[in-house]
Amino acid sequence: MAQALLGGRGGSELPPHGTGTARSTKLPEPNDPCGCIKHDTQSVEGRPLDTDDRLVERAQQGDVHAYGALVQRYQNLAYRTAYLVTGAAADAEDAAQEGFVKAYYALARFRAGAPFRPWLLAIVANEARNRRRSARRQGDLAVRVAEDRPSGDAAPSPEVAALAGERRRTLLAAVNRLSAADREMIACRYFLELSEAEVAATLGCRRGTVKSRTSRALTRLRAVLAEQGDGQAMSVTLEGGGE
Amino acid sequence: MTDRELERALADLGAHLEHSATPPIAAAVAVRLAEAPAPSPGRRGRVARAARARARLRRPLPRPRWQRLALACLAVVALATAVLAASPATREAAARLLGLRGVRIEIGGPGPAATTRVGGELYLGDLATLDEARQQVRFPVVVPTVPGFERPDAVYVDPRVPADGRVDFIYRPRPGLPAAPGTGVGLLVTQFRASVDQNFVKKAQLGEGSLEVVTVNGEFGYWFATEHGFSYLDRNGNELPETSRLAGSTLIWERGGLTLRLEGQVSKEQALRIAESMR
Repeated sequence: MAQALLGGRGGSELPPHGTGTARSTKLPEPNDPCGCIKHDTQSVEGRPLDTDDRLVERAQQGDVHAYGALVQRYQNLAYRTAYLVTGAAADAEDAAQEGFVKAYYALARFRAGAPFRPWLLAIVANEARNRRRSARRQGDLAVRVAEDRPSGDAAPSPEVAALAGERRRTLLAAVNRLSAADREMIACRYFLELSEAEVAATLGCRRGTVKSRTSRALTRLRAVLAEQGDGQAMSVTLEGGGE
Repeated sequence: MTDRELERALADLGAHLEHSATPPIAAAVAVRLAEAPAPSPGRRGRVARAARARARLRRPLPRPRWQRLALACLAVVALATAVLAASPATREAAARLLGLRGVRIEIGGPGPAATTRVGGELYLGDLATLDEARQQVRFPVVVPTVPGFERPDAVYVDPRVPADGRVDFIYRPRPGLPAAPGTGVGLLVTQFRASVDQNFVKKAQLGEGSLEVVTVNGEFGYWFATEHGFSYLDRNGNELPETSRLAGSTLIWERGGLTLRLEGQVSKEQALRIAESMR
């Protein structure tokens, strides 16, 4: 049957039926690799992931494989960060891409031992801000239409789900009305859940000011909510739909 | 509302924000890095200038989705030809960054004609029935549901390489499905489960041809519109020269934890239709 499939196509052979395991067409066993030279930098299946520090160090020495691993590791976070700054998916994609390329060329200036993640995010956030400026507007963030829930939770009643959805939309409408700086602060702190040190590095401010800036952003958010007449409603639904 | 309540509400909001799926940033970065020289501390000024020059070339305004995709395709096509002259280091960058789980894509290098045989052997496993194949591999085997493709003409299974096994479907040539150059069969569909880290089970070497990033049921894939080199790698990522051959148009994509590959003389639309129908 297999032979018949090949029709008279010269040179292109499927292994014939029933020739069992001893064919030359077999790939080598996993434990019996070919005798080729093994690259030191080659990642091997199943090995624990390298730390950022180690990957950065290798990338600085010219190991592009190591940088590739860093890109794979942080592409989601970089994209999310850029998206939270611009509010536009296309701009966020550009910004994340450009951020990774610029970070690669800036690696020589990266201080050994410093954390890579906030350093990268700072570059990405900066790219995202540039795009936001060019677009002359900040895209509104949106809440997912289909509300999923953490696995294991009991399905909320339709009323509770609707209420939760409404509460999120109300809160997001207020976040969208904040200044770019306030929104960035809130996004880094609460949406990306970065530490204070990481927020400081990402947004390029002193660590000591993160707390006070966050606090001021929250105050203004509260004011916007009150202005929307939603402060009370938020409070009520929060208590009603608590943990 | 207390500060703590507001903070809790914000964290909850963060978990429910709309994000489109992360676009294939790693692939795009690979393309960009492959276009440019590798950095070195001694050339910082030149590199910075090059970076600024590239920055000036960046598109300043958001573009519609379709237009952006078209640009991405062009960039990859351009790369395929431009990188021929690039340094091995930058080619390596592209090699590492492009690809899916278990698949490495190399761009540039010697053209496929120089390195690969036409119609080399297909390196299939043992001939089996679909049920036998299902029993021998450690992942759920999926089959096209498009009419005419529900029943492969032959099923091959290799239970050991890669670790969870691999299944190949063969469809014989027939009207509307000509024999494909490279395999001589109508359609070859391969599926396997790749490890979380790249395990380099296969690689495709792209000569001058087109490579397009596509989505299949929302997951990423690549469409190779033209002939390209193809070979299997050993577990250390070294090419197995005896497996090297010329492949025709090919779609590779991911589905759940599976990596799939479809090769045949079909249009991109046909390939996507078959791929998306697999259950």
